[in-house]
Amino acid sequence: MNNLRELSWSLVVLWASLIVVGLVAIYSATQGPVAEFLPSYIQVNFYKQLISFGLAIMVLIGLQFVNPRTFKEGAYVFYGIGIILMVLTLFVGKEVGGAKSWLVIGPFNLQVSELMKIATILAVANYLTSRRDISAENLKSALIAVLLILIPAILVVLQNDTGTAIIFFAMIPVILFWSGLPYGISLFMISPAIIGYLSIIEWYWGLVAAVILTLMIFMIQRRTWLTFTSFATGILLVIGIQVALFQVLQPHQRARIEAFTNPSFDPQGAGWNVIQAKTAIGSGGLYGKGFMEGTQTQLRFLPEQWTDFIFCVIGEEFGFLGASLTILLLLGLTLRLLQAAATHKHPFAQLVMVGVITIFFTHFFINVGSATGLLPVIGIPLPFISYGGSALITNTVMLGICLNLDFYKRQFSIYR
Amino acid sequence: MQYRKKQRTQISVRVLQVCIIVLGLIILGRLFQLQIIEYDTYSPLSRKNSLRQKVINPARGLIYDRNGSLLVDNEPIYSITITPASYDKDNTPVLARLMDVPIKEVKKRVQEAQNYSLYRSSRLFTEVDFKTFSVIQENIWRLPGIGHQIESKRHYPVDSLQASHILGYLREVSKEQYLQTKSYHLGDKVGKSGLEMAYEEHLRGTLGTEYIKINAMGQNLGSYRDGAIDEAPTRGSDLLTTIDTDLQMLAEDLMEGKRGAVVAMNPNNGSVLSLVSSPQYNIRRLSGRIDSDYWQSINADTTNPLYNRAVSSKQPPGSTFKPMMALMGLEMGIITPETTIDNPGYYYRGRRYNDLADPGKYNVGKALQESSNTFFFWLMDKIVNKESIDRWHELASTFGFGQRTNIDLPNEVSGTLPDSTYLNRVLGEGKWGIGDQLSMGVGQGFMSATPLQMALLASEIANGGYYVQPHLVSSIKKSDGSVLLTNPKKEKIDWVDPENIEVVKNGMRRVVTDGSGRYYADLDSIKVAGKTGTAQNPHGQDHGWFICFAPLDNPKIAVAVLVQNGGYGSISAAPIASLLVEQYLSGEINRSYVYNYVKTFEPKKQTTDEEESDE
Repeated sequence: MNNLRELSWSLVVLWASLIVVGLVAIYSATQGPVAEFLPSYIQVNFYKQLISFGLAIMVLIGLQFVNPRTFKEGAYVFYGIGIILMVLTLFVGKEVGGAKSWLVIGPFNLQVSELMKIATILAVANYLTSRRDISAENLKSALIAVLLILIPAILVVLQNDTGTAIIFFAMIPVILFWSGLPYGISLFMISPAIIGYLSIIEWYWGLVAAVILTLMIFMIQRRTWLTFTSFATGILLVIGIQVALFQVLQPHQRARIEAFTNPSFDPQGAGWNVIQAKTAIGSGGLYGKGFMEGTQTQLRFLPEQWTDFIFCVIGEEFGFLGASLTILLLLGLTLRLLQAAATHKHPFAQLVMVGVITIFFTHFFINVGSATGLLPVIGIPLPFISYGGSALITNTVMLGICLNLDFYKRQFSIYR
Repeated sequence: MQYRKKQRTQISVRVLQVCIIVLGLIILGRLFQLQIIEYDTYSPLSRKNSLRQKVINPARGLIYDRNGSLLVDNEPIYSITITPASYDKDNTPVLARLMDVPIKEVKKRVQEAQNYSLYRSSRLFTEVDFKTFSVIQENIWRLPGIGHQIESKRHYPVDSLQASHILGYLREVSKEQYLQTKSYHLGDKVGKSGLEMAYEEHLRGTLGTEYIKINAMGQNLGSYRDGAIDEAPTRGSDLLTTIDTDLQMLAEDLMEGKRGAVVAMNPNNGSVLSLVSSPQYNIRRLSGRIDSDYWQSINADTTNPLYNRAVSSKQPPGSTFKPMMALMGLEMGIITPETTIDNPGYYYRGRRYNDLADPGKYNVGKALQESSNTFFFWLMDKIVNKESIDRWHELASTFGFGQRTNIDLPNEVSGTLPDSTYLNRVLGEGKWGIGDQLSMGVGQGFMSATPLQMALLASEIANGGYYVQPHLVSSIKKSDGSVLLTNPKKEKIDWVDPENIEVVKNGMRRVVTDGSGRYYADLDSIKVAGKTGTAQNPHGQDHGWFICFAPLDNPKIAVAVLVQNGGYGSISAAPIASLLVEQYLSGEINRSYVYNYVKTFEPKKQTTDEEESDE
């Protein structure tokens, strides 16, 4: 065991703070003055989360006793087991909220896709750092890395869990970028997300973004084919999204997009969540309405307020101060992890950390973006804060692995 | 190679840092926008979302008689309500059993409620008895969607008292009134006649507001901040009226079966002791939920029971106007108490004007006693020639003729007291002559007055020439205990000479002792002074009038009675007035034969019903 001072205590403190913030919010959302109107299985959520916290502490401590090499050596094994379980879930899984992503093993309900995130990060990191000649600069190895992520991503899509699938897709550009993908191509890879987002709001903004991004790509990497491809992709995307919005999408899907761009279009229907979420946060003001005093929260105007919309609880009851503090804690966690990655010598550890950062940050940004009406509502939880034992444990495992790799960075022999 | 990789890592770290910070700032900026800049937009939205204002109706003010006995109070009515969206139709048999009504009936009503609104609560059963209400209340836990509601209706504790034209009834506020005043809610009850209407502002009180928390499903989650910002309703003010309940009941009893009106006043201050318009409507059947069959029947009734004859019907006062004429003649110096004229049995002025009084020598006293038309035709002739019709109008109007008394009841009419302008307008300039004016000298022709105005005339003579404001409410007791006095005006009519009043009083006394009132109006123990009258009715039997006051020396009551189609006032109206005087001053009726006479008196049926529609 190392000297305990070597442990990144700041990460531990940030982790614990976020969980405590989550517990406070979950308590308010499920134990408030009108808890009696909630179904009993929801009223116990706070206590279940408290137990998960205890479990998470043990997991975090336990992980520090694991030999860091295990993660690298066991990466493919975990990945293989994960894929098998994912396929299994597809056939015998339990459906919750439309997504067939739960595997029932005895008394436990296991969300395999959560664990699959860890396995995928480890596997990809292991692959990209296994040999000197493998790097994302190399097209073949880049494609293999993409494939390693795409396989679980597609399985998640088949489970009908769009939110989690987005997390997997988000890993692709970041991991490739970190492992040496040229800047221009990296920018090209994320440009569809930016163009797509803007052209949903207004088609000409998408067009402007396509032009600017193409110029940037041209300036970073003066390659005619890339510039041309980027521009063509951008234009096609803008047109494609317009066509999709008006021709291809089913009415309920279009309603969801419209709910985001113009919530007042259908305030009682698809726009409801967006309006109520924004109202909850906006009405919090600077100081908030006070613990258990949020009317939007207490009177159940928010759907899933202990999971996907938990940020609204914080925003409403603790105001701008509480909400910004929460944001700063989450930003602190990711930036501190990034610093750990930057100072680590071993590329495997770096890549694992970057993968974990990507997952945490994507969750955070999409969740808060949905709650504040910046993004269409995509149901994914806020890491460490939302109710959910599986997610809390998974996230803690990811952080625990990063802590472990950071903790043992001096002993981590690079090549065996 | 190693160096290049290290440099690349450094750049990548920077890029990722910048990305994280920029995206983080976007989120923080968005929070700042929503929570600080747009706070004023979202804060009311959330309040509106989660709070529902519930209006609490105040208790309506009570109405008391002059002795402090309760005439009108409130009684709870219990209703069972339904919110169809949360109602489980499987519960219909249970509900039907508890309500003790057929299942089919419940089904029908549930469907009606559902047709009205799926989400809003509506009344399923109204005015259920307390026992049924309690049973439902006990079982409400197993009847989701079923609720209960307690409202109130007017209740009249004195069983045999109607006083319908004094008290008035309530009905739901009309859409126009609701839109106009803003202080009503649809479905609120508002006074539509009588004191309920005249004192609506006072009786009503102020609405209270209760803030209730509701959740996204619209369920009631109890009071907001334990009622900290709720506003309690202020109950309406109570009215202390001048009504003498015993006298009112007797008057109603005596007028039963007749058409007409009775007004009894305290001549010294104008307080109305009794006011009856007959036929009356059943005030109890117009309380609470409207009994639509009854409502339709009284509206269709040709005798028009909703019409307040005491203040809204105007009839020629006939001979009851003669005391006024006498007073004016004396005042103008045209006659003295001793002025005597020769009555040949008619008055001749271009043509003969008939007189029912015997021929002979007449002074003003005898003219009043015998109700001699000749004397008053002659007097009117002198007045319009020596003075003018306008001077006559001026003096009579100070007694309240031709104008509203502004009694605290709605729909009062002014009656008609013609002057030259009026006659010019109605008959055309230069097209009216002495004949039109002479008939007004005996209270006929264009002249008309309400029973209330005639009671006022009796009062003014009784009190020695003071105008008194007729009123029904003496004070208003506010909910905080403070009392608002109505302070009705009492003013000396400046032209009236007390000596002349005495002459008229004595003339009126002679009517009762020796004239047309001697049969029914003369009481052994009480000195009554009065004047009979008969209003010519072109549509049928004449209307009988009687005005009187008593006791002569210290008047305590003045009465005017109109019996439509009763014929001579001396046989139709005078007995009623005298019974009221007797009851009021002696506390009992000793002349049971007069009472029985009145009860069996049957006026002739009116052939047409035009009088109600004029004005």
